[in-house]
Amino acid sequence: MSKPIRIALTKGRLEKDTVGLLEKLGFDCTAVREKGRKLILPVPDGNLEVVLAKANDVITYVEHGVCDMGVVGKDTIMEMSGKFFELVDLGFGRCRFALAAKKGTDFYNGFGIKTIATKYPNVTRKFFEKKGMDTEIIKIEGSVELAPLLGLADGIVDIVETGTTLKENGLEVIEDVAPISARLIANTVSLKLRHAEIDKLITLIEENL
Amino acid sequence: MKNYDLITPEGTRDLLFGECAVRRNIENKLLGLFRSYGYSETITPGLEFYDVFNLNSSYFPQENMYKLTDNKGRLLVMRPDSTMPIARIVATRLKDAELPLRLCYNQTVYRTEPSLKGRSDEITQTGIELVGSALRNADLEVVSAAAASLGSFGLKYSLELGHIGIFKKLVGQLDVSAHEKESIRRLIETKNFPALNDKLDSIGNTPVTAALKKLPGLFGGEEVFDKAQQLMAAEGIGEALEELREIYREASEICGGNGEITVDLGLVNKTDYYTGLIIKGYLQGHGDEVVSGGRYDRLISEFGYDVPAVGFAVNVNGIENAMQKNGSASESASADAVVYAAPGYRVAAFRAAEKLRAEGLTVENALSEDLDSVREYAKEKKIAKVIVIDGEEE
Repeated sequence: MSKPIRIALTKGRLEKDTVGLLEKLGFDCTAVREKGRKLILPVPDGNLEVVLAKANDVITYVEHGVCDMGVVGKDTIMEMSGKFFELVDLGFGRCRFALAAKKGTDFYNGFGIKTIATKYPNVTRKFFEKKGMDTEIIKIEGSVELAPLLGLADGIVDIVETGTTLKENGLEVIEDVAPISARLIANTVSLKLRHAEIDKLITLIEENL
Repeated sequence: MKNYDLITPEGTRDLLFGECAVRRNIENKLLGLFRSYGYSETITPGLEFYDVFNLNSSYFPQENMYKLTDNKGRLLVMRPDSTMPIARIVATRLKDAELPLRLCYNQTVYRTEPSLKGRSDEITQTGIELVGSALRNADLEVVSAAAASLGSFGLKYSLELGHIGIFKKLVGQLDVSAHEKESIRRLIETKNFPALNDKLDSIGNTPVTAALKKLPGLFGGEEVFDKAQQLMAAEGIGEALEELREIYREASEICGGNGEITVDLGLVNKTDYYTGLIIKGYLQGHGDEVVSGGRYDRLISEFGYDVPAVGFAVNVNGIENAMQKNGSASESASADAVVYAAPGYRVAAFRAAEKLRAEGLTVENALSEDLDSVREYAKEKKIAKVIVIDGEEE
């Protein structure tokens, strides 16, 4: 048997959804379900090896080719970019990037430069560049909703799922920035050197989405 | 205020012992191979004017180049690539030289990479440029040299061929802005099927958009050509496809037909630069391509001399990495012998060592007064022989 194909999964919800998908394909994921604290787990009958990592790290491992494939959200891909193939939209983990501001404010009004707080400075920069709008971007690590409430920023760019957090904090969506869902990515060399195996897996996945 | 006197800048590193041996070994193998094809080496300056890399068809974003100024305030860059300087030489000093020109190089290039990503800003590239021939033969020569390069390290490899004419012809038939074309190109390059399909659906449902949708999926062996022909026979890409198929077949035959040569019709990098064949090479163990090249018939004309060219560069650092991952990087060799001079025989010992060196051995002079510690040292360094000189040679 050849070396197993290593697939890095984003820990948390995407991991659970992906494991669900792999089981739907007929692979035995017992080891992954009962992982304990282990981070590299075998899926023996698929000749796969699951690696559990944080979203940004999934991209890093795949880019370097130490993992052949990965499952990661479009949000992370948009923020990090990098060199890999983005092969399949897995359809789960759906949400969106949106621009939000305090309820009732006319965000685009006035000549002043807007200040935007976000965990995703690159996504934010690109969004406003497209509009030809000069903005000041402040990177926030935790609950971004605080920034406009405290008067640090005019608006935020963040991931919105249901909009409940925004509503409860007196914010509202001004504009959608981009839709998000989980993506299957592959290292550029792995896809070529292990074409047959990866192709088989992808076909199987696409049939079961 | 000396905060940085003990470290090297991020993206650079010192090489020691075995690492140097591995690198030199790779460089020598490649240069030897290129010489055997009749290529002569060129060495270009590490510093060039910024303008050399700021042409219409170049692909060097200014933020990725190390820049400095000369003593007249003119903008210089640390060479980010070797092909542009060679194109500059061809268009100037070699303008009247007999064609074709077969030039090779082995030198470092500098690019700023994002920090903390584990990438090198300083990379050794060894490559060839075949200038002055637009013939299929020239393409084939470069492809077979690239395959021979990849094959000389005993690792599993794959050499992939593409043709930029296919993409250009297809996208040229779309009535969309240059910006849109670029975003289609990027989606094909990253094999981003979902986004590519959405984008092309928004443009319309024509045979051309249908063909573009298929492009990133068309990679593999010979079967790709049949699939491609079925899928997009009528879109004016027959010529490029046929040209690529011929090179593919001949190259596969030359390389023994073991499936090392593959095709990817979705190779669409640096579209302003390449004009025909594109080649990329992969080695098991390195996560990025180690060979990159193709035909660039319009580049040299930007320096004022209209002459076709084709070539490729090998990323030596990438090969080092692959060899290390596969456990085939060697330790540095220890000396064959250490020569110890008994008191009063220093000159005789140096002479004896010289003589052994002339015979081709690697010989160290003992740097200790005490024979026991020399023996200890030899054992430690795995030097097989301690030669004691305690008399004049006959």
